Amino acid sequence: MTIFRGIRAALFSCAALGALAGVAHAADQQTDWGQFPGVTLKVKLIGGTQYEKLYTRLPEWEKATGAKVEIVSSKNHFELDREIKQDIASGTITWCVGSNHTSFAPQYGDLYIDLKDHVPQATLDQFVQGTLASSMVDGRLVQLPRVTDVSNLYYLKDLYENADNKAKYKEKFGTELAPPATYDELKQQIIFFASPPNLYGTAFAGKDEGMTGRFMEIVRANGGDMFDENWKPIFNSQAGIDALQWFIDIYNAKAVPAGTVNYTWDDIGQAFAAGTLAVDLDWPGFAAFYNDPAKSKVAGKVGFAVAPVGTSGKRGGWSGSHSFSVTEACDNKEAAVSLVTFLTDYDSAMMEARAGNLPARTQAFTDVVEEFKKSDTPYMAEMFTVWEKSLDEARTPPLVAQWIEVSNVIWPELQSAIVGQKTAKEALDTAAAKATQIMEDAGVLQ
Amino acid sequence: MRFFRSRLSPPILLLMPAFVIIALVVALPLLFSLYTSFTGYRLVQPASLWQWVGWRNYQRLLTDVDFWWAFGRTLVFLTIALNLELVLGLGIALLIDKLTAGQRIIRTIMMFPMMFSPILVGFQFKYIFNDNVGLVNNAIQSLGWSDVTIPWLVNPVTANLAILMAEVWMSTPIFAILLLAGLMAMPRDPIEAAKVDGCNPWQVFRHITLPYLMPFVYIAMAIRSLDVARAYDMVKIMTNGGPAGRTELLWTLIARTGYQDARMGMANAMSYASILLSVYFTVYFFRKLAAARRTMGGVA
Repeated sequence: MTIFRGIRAALFSCAALGALAGVAHAADQQTDWGQFPGVTLKVKLIGGTQYEKLYTRLPEWEKATGAKVEIVSSKNHFELDREIKQDIASGTITWCVGSNHTSFAPQYGDLYIDLKDHVPQATLDQFVQGTLASSMVDGRLVQLPRVTDVSNLYYLKDLYENADNKAKYKEKFGTELAPPATYDELKQQIIFFASPPNLYGTAFAGKDEGMTGRFMEIVRANGGDMFDENWKPIFNSQAGIDALQWFIDIYNAKAVPAGTVNYTWDDIGQAFAAGTLAVDLDWPGFAAFYNDPAKSKVAGKVGFAVAPVGTSGKRGGWSGSHSFSVTEACDNKEAAVSLVTFLTDYDSAMMEARAGNLPARTQAFTDVVEEFKKSDTPYMAEMFTVWEKSLDEARTPPLVAQWIEVSNVIWPELQSAIVGQKTAKEALDTAAAKATQIMEDAGVLQ
Repeated sequence: MRFFRSRLSPPILLLMPAFVIIALVVALPLLFSLYTSFTGYRLVQPASLWQWVGWRNYQRLLTDVDFWWAFGRTLVFLTIALNLELVLGLGIALLIDKLTAGQRIIRTIMMFPMMFSPILVGFQFKYIFNDNVGLVNNAIQSLGWSDVTIPWLVNPVTANLAILMAEVWMSTPIFAILLLAGLMAMPRDPIEAAKVDGCNPWQVFRHITLPYLMPFVYIAMAIRSLDVARAYDMVKIMTNGGPAGRTELLWTLIARTGYQDARMGMANAMSYASILLSVYFTVYFFRKLAAARRTMGGVA
């Protein structure tokens, strides 16, 4: 079995990389997953088409180890989060492996083990180091990342290549029409392209953590942040006010659909695929969908650009990773660690990458680009190249247990300002006061 | 054995299992959640269950403007939704009762909306009222009625109306089916007698059919007033209480506080404050039901 896996990995790598690189790479692959005959691992995994393809590899691990995997729960992440909290509350952690996410992980306290103590350093070295660092909570590696997410720009190429648009843009702003490099330019172009109801400049996630995350991205790009080093909320600073004003300006200019304050990712994806948005700051998972002629009117017309920088010259780079964790309560941690390592190994990373997700393994990043180039899909190869450029500046939301709770007091206030019920300063001051109370109640802020 | 023989009568003994089960599955959880409403209980920190905070949660609620807006909005939503569903359900029941052929098929078709999960209904109406790619706006623009995009789920009035419409669409069949059952069980003699005496259709409806149906109406109202919180999933999908809290109902607020924020102590305090609403509606409808039964001389 081991020999077979080695040969297969080598053959695959040859196809992707060329003979030399492939053979060298196959030698790095972990092939011994241990022996756990008679062990049944209960797992709670994130459900949904884009996540479940990876689980087709589970029989492979079962065959290699003699263990069985019992999926006791498969739900979307918000429902899974709720279920895990109920398990913590009732003290019924009867499962070993759970899907996790960098945004959720800090809430769970000591539910999960520190994987640094269980996974060899050589294996950890093969992960994208920034992504791995974001998977730590209080210095503990509580999760192994499977895919990572960061947003960059999708834009309609024909709009940018249109001679009339180019001339008008040059006349109006004195610069060439090109994908925006700064948030100011992005705002300018969003308003320039908007011709409602058939075409809007863009749309943004207007509720839930999506709204808070996009706001945080611009706050950080403007040189601000959500908390200071003592966990005091500081997003009502000038950087925060400017960030919120950015949303207010494009909303008031009617350059975004009025309903964007209720949009989440799917709504934005559908709108861009319908050809009603000029640019879209969005996740990598949408790339394949946008280029599928059966589902998207803009297939073949989509260009990519790295996300713009803010007034500080930096990118906000809101990122997060989907991951797997092992519970402290697990009665066979060795088997559980083997499973999460298997589900995040090179082959798994390649499987995720071929589906258009950003892999957490460095090698898979390089290899999938080559693979896409060779298979005559330069569109996806270009997407990975652009997205890789933004990974260096990618940052997760604050890794503090109260983040989701704080986010839930921020986004309704952001909405208030965007729809004109409050000024940016009033809304942010109110949100900051509520956030301060949360941090004080939790004992994080004295 | 002697204890049971000497002190407890057979009826009490026979009812005991029911009392024990109700105590275990209803009374105990209620008492426990009441207790947690006086604590700083957070789902992810089991030890916080013993963190007694006295009246702090309730004091914060009293001064929480967002909570009272949600409370008031829920009250208005319940009142309008239940009455609208009643009127429409009654109309549908009366129409179906008149059918002489195909009644079974129509009854089955009528129940379709009840078969959808509220989450699906939420997605369906969210798409229908989407301002950019939604059905309603596209229809308005395609028919040339207007070029303006109407932000249905943003405007405070239209957003609440859209949610109301989804709720009415989903739940009117429950009223219709309960009232249809009442109509079908209704004796025909009084109606025949009234017609012989020269009553017109409105008079027959007003003075015979409606009084007879009132117990069914109040039972349906009582059931629906307790069951209406099922609409939570629908509101969660359509607006999640937004934008800017314009469609926030108690259910979205409490669920967010309890599960997303994990502040179960505060969420339970909110629930106990809002339970007043449920108690009020239930007591009101049961009193009305008792009055209606007295009027009908114990019928139904």
